[in-house]
Amino acid sequence: MAERVVVVGGGMAAVRLAEQLVGADVRLTVLADEPHAPYNRILLSAVLEGTHSADALTLRSPEWFAAQGFDLRLGARVLELDRDTREVVLVDGERIAYDRLVLACGSIPTLPPIRGLVRRDGTLHPKVHPFRSLADCRRLDKSVVEVRAQRASKPSRAVVVGGGLLGLQVARALSVRGVLTEVVEGADHLLAGQVGPAAGGVLARDLRRLGTEVYTGARAVRMTDDGVQLDNGALLPTDLVVLTAGGRPSTALARRAGLMVGRGIVVDSTLTSVTDDRVHAIGDCAEHRRRTTGFVPPAWEQAEVLARVLRGEEAAYDGLRSVARLRATGLEVAVLGDPRTAEGEVVEVTNPIAGSHRRLVVHGGRIVAAALVGDLSRVGLITQLYDRGTILGPDEPGQLLLPEAADAPTTLPDEAEVCACAGVSAGEIRACGTVAECVDRTRATTGCGGCADAVRRLVGEVGPVRVPVG
Amino acid sequence: MATETHCPYCSLQCGMRLTGRRVPEVSAWEEFPVNAGALCRKGWAAAGLYGGRERLTSPLVRDRATGEWAAVSWDDALDRVAAGIRAAQAEKGPDGVAVFGGGGLTNEKAYALGKLARVALGTSQIDYNGRWCMSSAASAGIRAFGLDRGLPFPLADVEETDVLVLVGSNLAETMPPAARHLDRLRARGGRVVVIDPRRTPTADRADLVLQPVPGTDLALALGLLHLLVAAGAVDEDYLAARTTGWAQVKESVAPWWPERVERVTGIEAAQVRELAAVLAGSPRVMVLTARGAEQHSTGSDTVLAWINVALALGMVGTRGAGYGCLTGQGNGQGGREHGQKADQLPGYRRIDDPAARAHVAGVWGVDPDSLPGPGRSAYELLDACGTDDGPSAMLVLGSNIVVSAPNATQVTARLEALDLLVVCDVVMSETAAIADVVLPVTQWAEETGTMTNLEGRVVLRQEAITPPSGVRSDLEVIAAIAERLGSTATFATDPEEVFAELGRASAGGPADYSTITYDRIREEGGVFWGGERLFASSFNHPDGRARMLTVEHRGAAEVPDDDYPVHLTTGRVLAQYQSGAQTRRVRDLPDDGPFVELHPLLAGRLGLATGEAVQVSTRRGTMTASARVVTTIRPDTVFVPFHWVGANRLTNDALDPASRMPEFKVCAARLAAVGRG
Repeated sequence: MAERVVVVGGGMAAVRLAEQLVGADVRLTVLADEPHAPYNRILLSAVLEGTHSADALTLRSPEWFAAQGFDLRLGARVLELDRDTREVVLVDGERIAYDRLVLACGSIPTLPPIRGLVRRDGTLHPKVHPFRSLADCRRLDKSVVEVRAQRASKPSRAVVVGGGLLGLQVARALSVRGVLTEVVEGADHLLAGQVGPAAGGVLARDLRRLGTEVYTGARAVRMTDDGVQLDNGALLPTDLVVLTAGGRPSTALARRAGLMVGRGIVVDSTLTSVTDDRVHAIGDCAEHRRRTTGFVPPAWEQAEVLARVLRGEEAAYDGLRSVARLRATGLEVAVLGDPRTAEGEVVEVTNPIAGSHRRLVVHGGRIVAAALVGDLSRVGLITQLYDRGTILGPDEPGQLLLPEAADAPTTLPDEAEVCACAGVSAGEIRACGTVAECVDRTRATTGCGGCADAVRRLVGEVGPVRVPVG
Repeated sequence: MATETHCPYCSLQCGMRLTGRRVPEVSAWEEFPVNAGALCRKGWAAAGLYGGRERLTSPLVRDRATGEWAAVSWDDALDRVAAGIRAAQAEKGPDGVAVFGGGGLTNEKAYALGKLARVALGTSQIDYNGRWCMSSAASAGIRAFGLDRGLPFPLADVEETDVLVLVGSNLAETMPPAARHLDRLRARGGRVVVIDPRRTPTADRADLVLQPVPGTDLALALGLLHLLVAAGAVDEDYLAARTTGWAQVKESVAPWWPERVERVTGIEAAQVRELAAVLAGSPRVMVLTARGAEQHSTGSDTVLAWINVALALGMVGTRGAGYGCLTGQGNGQGGREHGQKADQLPGYRRIDDPAARAHVAGVWGVDPDSLPGPGRSAYELLDACGTDDGPSAMLVLGSNIVVSAPNATQVTARLEALDLLVVCDVVMSETAAIADVVLPVTQWAEETGTMTNLEGRVVLRQEAITPPSGVRSDLEVIAAIAERLGSTATFATDPEEVFAELGRASAGGPADYSTITYDRIREEGGVFWGGERLFASSFNHPDGRARMLTVEHRGAAEVPDDDYPVHLTTGRVLAQYQSGAQTRRVRDLPDDGPFVELHPLLAGRLGLATGEAVQVSTRRGTMTASARVVTTIRPDTVFVPFHWVGANRLTNDALDPASRMPEFKVCAARLAAVGRG
């Protein structure tokens, strides 16, 4: 009898798990609390920006789940986990039995302690927008349109609370939409969760250059109809406030069910709860080796490992490598691992004039962490070397951060081959008076034709000829 | 008097004129449309195939005890071959003997070879080296369009597109005259995009160059499709009218945002976006794949992913746009159409299709039930040689397996385990050198036959010079073996007669040659089978629609680790062709031997400079060659050309599940400076 696997959550980790369980001998039920088909949450800021159409976010349609024989329940809110009877209890009272329970509940945004954020009736101030779900994104998008219409010729304004990856993406998205945007970050620099002050400083400069003011080391303390009041006394008049700061793993169900919970639901390397071996947790709600993550790549890696575990295969999650990338027009950030705390030698190039900061942390010849801000040249290669754990030579980390040498134009030596098709050297071409004579005597230029310019210069005017690369 | 014919090498089949009776002289044939008189140095130097002292002119047999060769008469050699075949089949049944062909054989030879196997030998064990060439594109084309023709339009259509995307093609080196189209396209204002781990001479002519990690072209295609969907740039009307499967494909690319593509492919997300924007903003887009994309254990899925991009943009069937495969070998196209492939009968028919069997058996005058079923694919066939279940005798035509097979050390050991290996060749190739019987055959300008170039254009190579005495044509060898085995079927030896029979056998099949004649080819500058341009109004599936198939990125079968930390990829150089059995013997072509191309970052790690010896090792083998330090290759990847013995001792024999293509283009390798450990 196939095991009944019940997944609480319909986010990106849950979908990845379902994909990896196609064809497996399990009966899968996915309980998604949002009403839409599972979608790609990390592209919400791109939807806001207008570079990604919202209807192309769907990761897997209900039809796909049905075709796999999976039971997808949209809008299914879970009330309780009953570990004694091995059942999940929905708010409408339905009980769903499981053999294996997977908690993929994600995280929930926390409201910062700003007075006036929540009105007396418990609703949010109408200018305030959390930014977590597709519904949040649509509501904010609508507000942007409305505010801009109301404002007519005058610029509309927004304050983004939180200077993390999401905050910066939303700030850029609003800015690209023509909204004057300001970012408020409580830490002393932007992206404090991922990078150090130098990188954060470069980012702040970049943002200012792009027209977005940045307040770091400043907390929003009060929300009024006039705007957002900061603890340094400044008042930021605004039409919109977007909350991107603070999210915490969604652990309430697990806690109530008596599972061990730290910051997240504590799991071992097989993504199994340390309290109950029939319960698993993946994604933002899981805590592995005292760490929770807020990114898709580790969540997917966990989903892939758990799928193998559920199939009865040997698999373990080591949680070693993660790559976080900022997706926003005009801002370039890649964070590999944890460059603030990783142990190793640091190779760093900061160019505040050009607006770049790049830091590699190297241990035993391997790149164990990196922060690249403002200049992503070679990010693809550096990520490969990081992911593969390639052991580099002593000069390589430094060279990786230097600009690639341009091939300088030089005069071709006589023996250099100019026409590869016919095998003709520069000297043989120089010995000809005209291109026609050269064609006649050597057949240069008659194959692929790529050397025609070089031949013209060699027979005609004196002047430098670029050495063909390679 | 000049004879109009075609170059002996690649799938472009450039037209050329030959004069002289013993050693030909090459001159331009400007009226032939494909190359309009242009040739690369291989073509200009083609006459160098003649007059060499290495030419075989007598059948040879090798004494296994001493390793010595003895010249024998044709009768003795053929008797020995027939006796060996009978012995193998007496022991193991019909499948005890195998046939291995080549994508360089003329259509007539490919056809006769397939007929020999199915009728005279009765064996299912026939395949050819074309399996290692375009089989991934062929498999994808059949699945997506219902038909496989390398280019479904003339090559010159390239000049009419707005964006040409070359995926894993280095045509400026591999088929240089074709590169002229790129220049004309760009002069018209069109753009060229090259996707290759190396910045090749082709990339030097491109407007946008992306250098992915080998084996990740599929993920790049998914990422592009993701962005095209996100930007609303797909042609929904076309998709609705002309395809099936779009909804599933669309959903499957939702998780391929650019930053994820970057992590997998090593291409910066900004470049992925740039390319997507170029595609989205161009009225006509043409995607051409070649071996770089196809020679992977995920090769056919990679091609399908790129076909999906072309279909989603609504390009396939539009003039100056669409999808095509740049075939490699001279007769790569025709070679896969006439029955030397394990699962096929002439006319690109399936051997497991009862109607196809009945038709072909009728032409051959045999009982349909007497025809064997599908046999093993090329690598699997070679890997079975000399094993309990596999053949114990093999006949090889037009292939130098020892150099060109993946995991070549293993394959060579399998060939050596055969009781009888017969090789037909013009020189003592590396494979002939381990044979029991070598039969000297005519080559290129000494014989007549048709080739089908990369456009599906059937061209005629005409006999221009007199063959040396002592050699026979492959058709004569095939007929003689059939006769000795007592076959009742007729095996014609006149190429035109064979071509007419091929036409009848292919009639009504997907690749129908029945209306093509030598005279038509001469008069029309070649004849396209199926028409000049395909898919304008319908595809070749019964419902007329193209299939969009969902494919997933799986990655290379072998990825770098601590022991083998770099990617190895292989490819060609301009002056050599395939295993080099021909070109390495042409004096006018430079033969500097193999080399290892690597980036200064990697060279610095190893303390290597250009010209120094470097040893490359993989889990399968080792080779040593001189280092060539270049800034044009990815720093995590090394390149070795495959024309010499060595490169394919390194390559991986992991096979594509659909096409059975080995993974020539990527494996994990380790480098060491020689003498320094």
